[in-house]
Amino acid sequence: MKQIKRMFRMHRIFVAQELKRMMEYKGDFLTGIAGFLLNQFFNLMFLWIIFANIPNLMGWTIEQIVFIYGFSLIPKGIDHLLFDNLWSIGYFTVRKGDFDKYLTRPINPLFHVMVEKLQIDALGELIMGIALIGVTLPSLSIEWSVTKVLLIIIVIPFATMIYVGIKTATAAIAFWTKRSGNIIYMFYMVNDFAKYPVTIYNNFVKAVITYIIPFAFTAFFPANYILTGENPLFNIGMTVVIALVIMVIGVFVWNKGIKAYESAGS
Amino acid sequence: MKRKLRIYLPFINAGLQEATTYRADWCFRILGNILGCFISYFIWKAVFLSGGSEIINGFTMPQMVVYIFLMFLTSTLVSSGGTFDIGEEIRDGSIAMRMIKPISYNSTFLFQELGNKIMTVFVLIVPLVAGVEIVSALFTGSVQFNIARFGLYIFSCVLAYLVNFFFNICFGFIAFVIKYLWGANMMKNCIVGFLSGAIIPLAFLPDVIEKIFLLLPFASLNYTPVMIYMGMYSGTELLYYLGLQLFWVLGFWGLSKFLWKAATKRLCVQGG
Repeated sequence: MKQIKRMFRMHRIFVAQELKRMMEYKGDFLTGIAGFLLNQFFNLMFLWIIFANIPNLMGWTIEQIVFIYGFSLIPKGIDHLLFDNLWSIGYFTVRKGDFDKYLTRPINPLFHVMVEKLQIDALGELIMGIALIGVTLPSLSIEWSVTKVLLIIIVIPFATMIYVGIKTATAAIAFWTKRSGNIIYMFYMVNDFAKYPVTIYNNFVKAVITYIIPFAFTAFFPANYILTGENPLFNIGMTVVIALVIMVIGVFVWNKGIKAYESAGS
Repeated sequence: MKRKLRIYLPFINAGLQEATTYRADWCFRILGNILGCFISYFIWKAVFLSGGSEIINGFTMPQMVVYIFLMFLTSTLVSSGGTFDIGEEIRDGSIAMRMIKPISYNSTFLFQELGNKIMTVFVLIVPLVAGVEIVSALFTGSVQFNIARFGLYIFSCVLAYLVNFFFNICFGFIAFVIKYLWGANMMKNCIVGFLSGAIIPLAFLPDVIEKIFLLLPFASLNYTPVMIYMGMYSGTELLYYLGLQLFWVLGFWGLSKFLWKAATKRLCVQGG
């Protein structure tokens, strides 16, 4: 208990430090958010132009597709906001030998890496996600119930955990190879598959994004539950199970990696 | 000429070595991008299945496959990282070191990047072009490959690369204004991606917008080479688009010279 309290206190201190840094560079802060907003905006343009040519996409209406897309941005945005620092482990921290600093401090290194930075650019994604859900929700005629709302609230942290777990495992590969940034990148590209209904893919892709690199659980399956109310056991239950499994794998690979870590002599 | 070659050859070599050092990492990036192509493929397949017609805005599904993968190949071939390099040097002040050396600033970047590209060219062109051709031969029942068009495509890619190179150099000077290059670069990539047809073929846009976009330098980056490869342009139209590419090469080359002169006057190195 005392341990957890200490972690929360440290998290607050790190965040406060980050906010101070951001205030120093206000322009950067706006550039980053605008960059991500723009990125999402053009992806939406793509959907919009496509839908000008077809009535629906294999039975999915534009509202449904945009809703799934918007929902996918929420766990992705939270992951990006809070745990973005893992990318730098993959790209340069290990290669430059800077990882030593985490090992010499009396804090769990993984925890330290995660809380050290706050990536405010992610607000671009979160704002867009919430806006898209807000815009499409009225035209979707979703049936609401207390259980549904509760399940949605529960599922979002777990969906985020799938991202964190995958990123932890792939970033940790850098402990052996010195650089794994592009491996993380590759896995994150798979994540783009999950922004669209899995029914448009063939069975192979479907199997990969459901069971091997289970990004479908970060967006499509939970969003599908919200849209249809069907199959909560699979759509929500499996998300939770898979998130826990992925996170355990992530931490396991990370711990193995730290043991294998050799500082770059410089 | 010979003297020039002797000066810049080491830069090509350095670029090549840089690329080969991190080749495993590079492979993962390329794999990631190919995965991205497959996402587009499945979306377009669904679109063609849902649309009911064989041709949408002048594209058939086999042509769309060619478009998606050729777009990826082209944007990889013509990509240029000048923005970051020049921006970083402005930020950390190492640009000063470049200024005291008796070689051209732009050329060193150019040759280093060309060296960097050698691997991309050799590893990607053959499998991608062959793959695309095999798939479209299977779809249409006849071989579509045309060596003359392929030659023109490569020529157009060279022009496109030069447009992109000088454009990125110009954009790198934005580091004088915005210190957060990552964000600025991201915005630039989004806009360029859309305007150059990397997200959606320009033919899908409303007529007026398509006409404007075709005139802008960004269509010269990816769209023109891909259209040439696909045989969408011929005769005077072909000459017109190649001419337009050349125009933008010269335009951005001139602008980068001008910015370099202006920048060296107001450069103020922060710290050391």
